[in-house]
Amino acid sequence: MNIHDISRAPTDRSPEIQFDPDACSLSISGASFPEDGAAFYGPVLSTLDEILKALDQRCVTVRIALNYFNSSSAKALMNLFLMLDDAAQAGNQVIVNWFHAADDDTMKEFGEEFAEDVRFVRFNVIPTAVTS
Amino acid sequence: MMADTYHAFRNMLDEQGIIFSYCGYMSEKLVVGLGEAIKQKMELDAADTNTTKRVFSIFIEQVQNIIRYSADRATGAEENRGQLSNGVITIGRDQQGRFFVAGANMVQATEVPKLRQRLDHINSLDHDSLKAYYKERLRNAPDADSKGASIGLIEIARRAAGPIQYDVKPVSNDMAFFCLKAFV
Repeated sequence: MNIHDISRAPTDRSPEIQFDPDACSLSISGASFPEDGAAFYGPVLSTLDEILKALDQRCVTVRIALNYFNSSSAKALMNLFLMLDDAAQAGNQVIVNWFHAADDDTMKEFGEEFAEDVRFVRFNVIPTAVTS
Repeated sequence: MMADTYHAFRNMLDEQGIIFSYCGYMSEKLVVGLGEAIKQKMELDAADTNTTKRVFSIFIEQVQNIIRYSADRATGAEENRGQLSNGVITIGRDQQGRFFVAGANMVQATEVPKLRQRLDHINSLDHDSLKAYYKERLRNAPDADSKGASIGLIEIARRAAGPIQYDVKPVSNDMAFFCLKAFV
């Protein structure tokens, strides 16, 4: 399987996903309310799961900069963070940087809640300048 | 005559405080365009960013619920260009200026008790219990779009101020008209 398959160009309703296998860095940004959440995230997460399981003592950096996501995307994000937490428990150093517009209470709250759900990942919730 | 009819229709919506309405077949393609128009209008009206986002979020969950669960749907649509389901979605403001999102669609009469139970349960939860329930559903629902997973309804409850209002009207032996309204 080609690991580059994880990257996705952004659309009106689905986020840009960038994955750099050498640096072990993942970025998900934009808006996320795909027509079919399972169809969009399913292949990304299953490929990522294989990649994460093969890592040994690596440093993984994840950037999340979403301005909106719907409930089926929230389900996918939860799965992603649980997967990352397993990778961190297995001995990798995993950092998640969750960016939210400083005036966006919902995205801030989501970040804080996901941070509570991981035990081994270093999860940072970071406000950014307001753009809209 | 024609203008009378549509003017009366328009006035009826105005009386309810409805500023946006769509009634008919909905597809996922429609979601993006309608959502964009709503955000644009609210931004022009200088609504607070968080209010705009909450309205948008409830709108998306309601429309996607209608598309997925409406019992009145165009048959044969799924194979080629995605689901096409009949329903009503409206956005309005009440006399206190509070925004609301209200939607309606046909459901199988047999689904009604489950829906009521789910909504009554969600409405019985306080802020922290709702958050815990949401997380539990996120962790345990089998997949992102699992039918019956009430994540979309919990999401609506979490973005709403006060309980989700709903009403059901039986329209035949096996069908009911289901309405749901959430204030922001």
